[in-house]
Amino acid sequence: MMGKLLAAEFMKIKRKGIWFLTVLGPIGVVAMQMVNYGVRKDYLFGQNDDRWGYYLDNIHSFTPLAIVLGIVILTSFMSSIENETNAWKQLIALPVSKMSVYLSKFTVLSILLLTSSVLLMLFTMAFGLFLDLGGEIPYTGLLKYSFYPFFAALPVLALQLWIATVSVNQGVPITLGILGVILTYAGFTLPDWLIWKWPLLLNEWNEPLINVLLGIGAGVLLYTAGMIDFARRDVK
Amino acid sequence: MEYIVRTENLSKHFGKEKAVSGLEMKIPKGEIYGFLGPNGAGKTTTIRMLLGLMKPDSGRIEIFQKDLKKERLNILGRVGSLVESPSYYPHLTAKENLEAMRKILGVPKQRIAEVLEIVRLTDACDKKVKGFSLGMKQRLGIAASLLNNPELLILDEPTNGLDPSGIIEIRNLIKSLPSECGMTVLISSHLLSEIDQMATTVGIVTKGKMIFQDSIEAMRMFSQQSVLLKVSESDKAWRSLLGRGMKAGLDSGIISLPQQSDEQVAEAVRGLVADGFSVYRVEEEKRSLEDIFLQMTREEQAG
Repeated sequence: MMGKLLAAEFMKIKRKGIWFLTVLGPIGVVAMQMVNYGVRKDYLFGQNDDRWGYYLDNIHSFTPLAIVLGIVILTSFMSSIENETNAWKQLIALPVSKMSVYLSKFTVLSILLLTSSVLLMLFTMAFGLFLDLGGEIPYTGLLKYSFYPFFAALPVLALQLWIATVSVNQGVPITLGILGVILTYAGFTLPDWLIWKWPLLLNEWNEPLINVLLGIGAGVLLYTAGMIDFARRDVK
Repeated sequence: MEYIVRTENLSKHFGKEKAVSGLEMKIPKGEIYGFLGPNGAGKTTTIRMLLGLMKPDSGRIEIFQKDLKKERLNILGRVGSLVESPSYYPHLTAKENLEAMRKILGVPKQRIAEVLEIVRLTDACDKKVKGFSLGMKQRLGIAASLLNNPELLILDEPTNGLDPSGIIEIRNLIKSLPSECGMTVLISSHLLSEIDQMATTVGIVTKGKMIFQDSIEAMRMFSQQSVLLKVSESDKAWRSLLGRGMKAGLDSGIISLPQQSDEQVAEAVRGLVADGFSVYRVEEEKRSLEDIFLQMTREEQAG
């Protein structure tokens, strides 16, 4: 059943600009550094002997914002597909379980964000090579900075999807989303338990992997809660 | 009799308001069941419960003699539906809309062309639904409901937004479904004339309660005409008719003779004249189904 649902979901996101945004996100993040390095390359090279590491840190200063913003926009697009003409009633009246419908939405969003992550890695590496940073390419760091934020942002994804699917008024998820983006932006000064801070990969133990594991754990919890709530509700 | 749909004591409330209470619906196989009721009577709520979109507060739903709660997916695979305003994905073409549903239903691809042909949308199949008129969207909804060749077709107000020729087309289509495809059809409407022309069985619901459920013929029985007489001294005249052993009613000075042959009416008039009453008017009162429907729903509201 999941295969069929996913095929249908990918069909429905055609012509919505969703794939465009998926590609635009990582381009935007790397483009910020193109400007940064384009304007003051020599100064930046002088800041740190580990040029690759310093470059990745710079890239990562925009990744969390981009991923949280991306989640807000994509979840809102995804739910607008069904909300626009209340197609939920048509979809749920098909022989599909509500839980698998919810799972298919979540899976599509995850695939889109993972695609963004892969692209981010490729673009980061390509511009890094173009800059001629020298030394070995730090593949581990590259992987970490490209994929850790996605896993750390899973709770935000689960929460946004939940709110966006059950809200009749789409102002609610958008408001929460904007609040989330602001919290991520101000993440440096916020306590570690706020899920919007997690994509920054900062914590008091200085171990980014903690954020990844926390993200997966809390993501699963929030996803399950959202799915159960969605299945329990009457379709309007 | 084999019932395709059977509900027992079905109830649902929203907050304090009871949308459906103790509804018992029985739809025999192969019938076109007209589900009739004024706006807000609980028709759509009932249909949503039949499709598993809403959970009943109490009661049981059996479709194809199976419990909807336990075998929802199995049942829904054999049901086609169109609930209220048509749902569609405006950024996709008509074909793509159906394709998205077909992928889930797993029916062969050629079925899309077939259902588009049935609702006469073949020419517009590659246009985005965004630009469709309400009638075309409605047709697309009907096409979607036919995709899986359902054994039970549930249509909620299917002729909404259609032009007169479209209504006739869809009406003929619905009428042909039971004999040609062996379908059972549940069709809801607040327009009696609509149901009158299609349905073979009627269920009338008002304030969430089923107040009438029988064949359309049984409902027409109610609509048989009576003859009204306006006479002088109506009270005495009425007694004299009763004295002659005739069935007659008296209502605000007008005598009514229910279901009488021409001969019996003539005899009644002759009798009245012979007894010295002046007969002012002899009128035939025809009660349309509409009147009966209104009367039924009004009685329920008064009670």
